[in-house]
Amino acid sequence: MTETTPLLSDDLVWVAGSDAPEKTALNIGFMPLTDSASLIVAATQGFAQPYGLTLNLKRQASWATLRDKLVTGELDAAQGLYGLIYGIHLGLGGNPATDMAVLMGLAQNGQSINLSARLQRSGVTSAEALLQYVHHSRAKLTFAQTFPTGTHAMWLYYWLASLGIHPLKDVNTVVVPPSQMVAHLQAGRIDGFCAGEPWGAHAIDQGMGFTLATSQALWPDHPEKVLGCTREFVEQYPNTARALVMAVLEASRFIDASDENKCSAAQLISGSDYVDAPLQTIQSRFLGRYEDGNGHAWLDAHPLRFCAEGAVNMPYLSDGLWFMTQFRRWGLLREDPDYQAIARAVQQTSLYADAAGALGLAVPDAMRSSTLLDGKPWDGHDPAAYARSFALHSLSNEPHSAAL
Amino acid sequence: MLRILLINDTPKKVGRLKSALTEAGFEVIDESGLVIDLPERVEAIRPDVILIDTESPGRDVMEQVCLVSRDQPRPIVMFTDDHDPGVMRQAIQSGVSAYIVEGIHAQRLQPILDVAMARFESDQALRAQLNAREAQLAERKRVELAKGLLMKMKSCNEEEAYTLMRRQAMSRQQKLIQVAEQIIAMHDMLGN
Repeated sequence: MTETTPLLSDDLVWVAGSDAPEKTALNIGFMPLTDSASLIVAATQGFAQPYGLTLNLKRQASWATLRDKLVTGELDAAQGLYGLIYGIHLGLGGNPATDMAVLMGLAQNGQSINLSARLQRSGVTSAEALLQYVHHSRAKLTFAQTFPTGTHAMWLYYWLASLGIHPLKDVNTVVVPPSQMVAHLQAGRIDGFCAGEPWGAHAIDQGMGFTLATSQALWPDHPEKVLGCTREFVEQYPNTARALVMAVLEASRFIDASDENKCSAAQLISGSDYVDAPLQTIQSRFLGRYEDGNGHAWLDAHPLRFCAEGAVNMPYLSDGLWFMTQFRRWGLLREDPDYQAIARAVQQTSLYADAAGALGLAVPDAMRSSTLLDGKPWDGHDPAAYARSFALHSLSNEPHSAAL
Repeated sequence: MLRILLINDTPKKVGRLKSALTEAGFEVIDESGLVIDLPERVEAIRPDVILIDTESPGRDVMEQVCLVSRDQPRPIVMFTDDHDPGVMRQAIQSGVSAYIVEGIHAQRLQPILDVAMARFESDQALRAQLNAREAQLAERKRVELAKGLLMKMKSCNEEEAYTLMRRQAMSRQQKLIQVAEQIIAMHDMLGN
């Protein structure tokens, strides 16, 4: 705008135009994690401007802060743990329930469960050894995850339970922001953690721990981070929301297009404004090249991925439902919620289909089928029965749960 | 308490307005007879509201008002003796948040100033959006220009040019626009 031009109608007409974004400058929250790459690339590499958007990246120190800023509107949209968005929606955290929206999936795979170097030295280097240790040691081990309703809590609980370790009875669990995991491991305050990369690789790099399990070993191509916002934001700014999804989809497709693109993206996000971690701890696992810090190296069949021609990004109803089943299983929800209605309200499937369709990406079915580590299939049908189908659970405040 | 910068560069007596403001509990922090140093004055005093006489040399003050508004956004409230709707409309279009007709009762000042503040805040939000859009368009043009230059230099297609620029930007932890500017600068230097 030239200095003395008042706010004239031309500008307003453009702002009010039919398909144009209603709001053009957005504050986007992210955490220092490898899987925030698509948001960082979208914001800095010119993917948003063609849609009339400017994305201002706002790094957050903890998931709880990010949650608070998302709810108050200080952040327009943010990288979110799948479960975090549902936790806010259901009022399971420090906030009263706020209607939320999952605009799209941002990433699948690429989290890990890591144990301390102390446990490693004691010979606890396998799942079986961990089970023995937990059942024979007098002191309870303490595991950290990143948010009470978050994905890492659910991966950790599911994984421990699949071994026969009750995550809420046999061990202690605490919440620690991902970038502080290694420091807590070093200080001996925790014996293991589940978090996103690069913090597992960083623990190995620092000689503080090793990776016992990857999240993709628990659930190949599992849902992980989403682009979340309040329902109010989608309703107030539908064109903005669609434009944002398109910009992030294009950035996601670009990252996944080649190893060269992934390497450059890893370089970008390692910077002090973003993940602020050494490149080598980010890059290997970004490319699917794993070393567990315990003598094994492999090229992962299900590494972190951002697009896979849209297979990653669909806000599947079945993914949203799964987190609610686990909230129910572990007693975060004391009653069965209206699973299907909540998932349909939160997952913005039709907005996503518009955006993906406009970019020529296939829009998959809203229900997908998976088989998890323990051999249990999940396809999104009968979530209430699924939530009750596990040997280990915390449904005990219910009169009829004992028989399970 | 609202801090008000009262500007008076006309021979008109502002005594009545000033005492009304003080009576209503506002802190009237300055009474400038000069408009020339207004930006500096605003910068130094950081008032919550600027009150200015409509008759202080007409259109020139409007310009000054806009300039102040741009460098150091503050809600601006006009006061006047005359009821000319044309002047009022022009003032509002220039970013003035409210209008006070002189002689108004002290107890009515607070709601007027409240409205002025609210209006100012929403104007600022809109203005920020429009500025962001301008910057976006300018950035996009520069990126397009650089892409065109690169396509010529490397004899490649549009998508390849974008990918090259983005890889370069990302591996240097820069934004796409920074690499675009480097390409344009290099092209200018080589005189192609």
